[in-house]
Amino acid sequence: MTEQAPVLILLFPFLSAIVVALAGIRMKGLCWPLVLLSLAGSVCASLSTLGRVLDEGTIRYHLGGWAPPIGIEFRIDGLNALVAVTVSLVALITAIYSKISVEAESKDKVSQYYAIFLLLIAGLLGMVITGDAFNLYVLLEVSALTSYALIAMGSKRATLAAFKYLIMGTIGASFYLLGVGYLYIKTGSLNMFDIHEQLVLNNLEQSPTILVAFMLITVAVWIKMAFFPLHAWLPNAYAFAPTTSSSIMGPLVTKVMIYVMIRMVLTVFGPDYAFEVLNWDNIVVWLAVIAILAGSIGALAQKDLRKMLTFLIIAEVGYMVGGVWLADETGMVGSIFHIISDAFMTLCVFLFAGIVFTKTGRRNITAVEGMFKKMPLTMVGFIVGAFSLIGIPPTAGFFSKWYLIQGGINSGNWEYVVALLISSLVNAVLFFRIIEIAYFGAKPADGHDDHHGEDHSKISEAPFTQLVPLLGTAALLVIIGIYNKDIVSIIQDFLLPFNLGAGS
Amino acid sequence: MKILGFIAVIITGILLLQAERDFPDWGDPASPANNYRLSQHYITQTFTETTVPNMVTAVLADYRGYDTMFETVVIFTAGIAIIGILRVFGSSSQLEHKEPTLTAKKPDLIVDTTCRLLIPIIQLFALYVVAHGHHSPGGGFQGGVIFGASFILLALARNLQTAQKWLPESRVLTLAGAGIFIYAGFGVAALVLGGDFLDYGILTKLLPGGVEDARSHSMLGVEIGVAFTVTAIMFSIYSNLASNGKMKEGI
Repeated sequence: MTEQAPVLILLFPFLSAIVVALAGIRMKGLCWPLVLLSLAGSVCASLSTLGRVLDEGTIRYHLGGWAPPIGIEFRIDGLNALVAVTVSLVALITAIYSKISVEAESKDKVSQYYAIFLLLIAGLLGMVITGDAFNLYVLLEVSALTSYALIAMGSKRATLAAFKYLIMGTIGASFYLLGVGYLYIKTGSLNMFDIHEQLVLNNLEQSPTILVAFMLITVAVWIKMAFFPLHAWLPNAYAFAPTTSSSIMGPLVTKVMIYVMIRMVLTVFGPDYAFEVLNWDNIVVWLAVIAILAGSIGALAQKDLRKMLTFLIIAEVGYMVGGVWLADETGMVGSIFHIISDAFMTLCVFLFAGIVFTKTGRRNITAVEGMFKKMPLTMVGFIVGAFSLIGIPPTAGFFSKWYLIQGGINSGNWEYVVALLISSLVNAVLFFRIIEIAYFGAKPADGHDDHHGEDHSKISEAPFTQLVPLLGTAALLVIIGIYNKDIVSIIQDFLLPFNLGAGS
Repeated sequence: MKILGFIAVIITGILLLQAERDFPDWGDPASPANNYRLSQHYITQTFTETTVPNMVTAVLADYRGYDTMFETVVIFTAGIAIIGILRVFGSSSQLEHKEPTLTAKKPDLIVDTTCRLLIPIIQLFALYVVAHGHHSPGGGFQGGVIFGASFILLALARNLQTAQKWLPESRVLTLAGAGIFIYAGFGVAALVLGGDFLDYGILTKLLPGGVEDARSHSMLGVEIGVAFTVTAIMFSIYSNLASNGKMKEGI
């Protein structure tokens, strides 16, 4: 069975999505257990794949039995396997959380919601494990279409935000498709590894077509991951979506796109082309610095809890894009590690925001007033996530930031290091403000618009199915932090053949 | 904002023109896309490997069948998403919109007779397009769209209720899901028999003929699955959009 594990990672959520769509209409109670079961299967499959990758090295799985480049292949190495485990775990945790909120937020449409939810996971997992550039586009379409739907199933404002996202996302997807088309014109192949071989064999480094293909694909993934000047769709889309939708998309969609960017840079175009022939590193690192600062300042300006978190996502995207374009091995390790730790810490704070919203029905930060007394365990989970976002040891966020800063120092990009530190300070201000409100109560000036102190007294600890995922994520953050050496060694083994120098 | 957009468009245009400088000549037989072993393999080996004369169908449904499965899923997702966003179940608590109805309730003789004549022919032709995908342009997507169009024609000519008598909402979803199950079923069957996912060759244990015939037959099966999904989702999208998600009156 382990032979087939790579395809099972994706088949579990995919097939059960159809079952949920069909059977769920008549038997609503069936949806949630089925979702949990399939995602648990997916987690098992991805863990067993990771185990095999560690034992045997890269796994190649030929779909339809056709050897690449004739057919499509999954090609799973250390990077894919780690990201696949992250994606399936985050999905499972969010699915546990979703029980109450989905039933409350989309009463009549539980089965449709879960079907789309599972298809989104299938699309993201497919993007992560595929080794084919065009196949990635098909799954990009699946995941994009499902994200629009998951957002649009929220309130009225969510529908408008989803429409903006749809326009931006479609532009991004068509840029990607055009880029892949250009690669095909010049190489005649669609397999990522084969494209790279052909690029090197035919000496296409100076070809303007390849340059434009590279630009199109990079801009496409930047749009999809909300890299700063192209981020406008993200805050409203994630802030007004149903809470389960933002808990799944906040951590996953942008991170998977960063994986795609790393895959394109390292595997398809190759670090030599991306960092040495083009030599844009400094420009992109400066863009990342702007993105980090803009995201942090944007977050400071927000009074809406979830909207503040969405601006933090934009800052974090800046971290990872910058880390990749430092063109330094430590920076790359930091970026890849940050994909994993950021997925979990974003999940942690979004779960908290979801709990606060369901408990109080308020979006404002002041909604957390006095929560230390009323729901201490929930606050513990939140504090771990917040500490990780600030970067306090021993949480995962500290270690990934450590590698990013190391990379910045090694390559001499001091502006990046300074931006990272400023953004960490801003995160500290933001989260300690929330903790202060939760502990001491809001200052009158902060929340004069909503003073219903009475209905707060009823609030107690979050229900079991919401508390367990939050605390589980918090525990995972600490575990990832403690075992950071092991994860980093997997990433370093993956990066070894690419020969990234220290600094550009 | 408008000026910014204009500048972006100009820059993109210049970039695309730059890229075009390095393109191979139009129809150049020595261009990488024509010359590389990938397309050479498809052109020379398709018939021997799959006994399907239409290369496009073979690439679509076999060599790159995994892509096509997810293209079908994209269609399915679109259908489910539209139901998820638009459909209003039960008596709507929202603001009562005025239903967009046409005043003429009496069936029109000319329209009615034309539909009676046309719809069977359209549906028969759709089946032909699906089944003949191996030999001529066609296949599941095209056939499914034509089949779905016949129901839309019925709904337009009479009303949504008449069309729903033939294709009620519950049946639509079942059909759409069944289509994907047929497609994925071929893949899972291959998996169970010990091959890789979607490796039709190994289905020779179940299907008559050799490995090549098994591939050819599986492609037909897969196309039928696609046609199911596309037909159902076409009609579902139409009926949801036309009736504001209420599935009652509609246009």
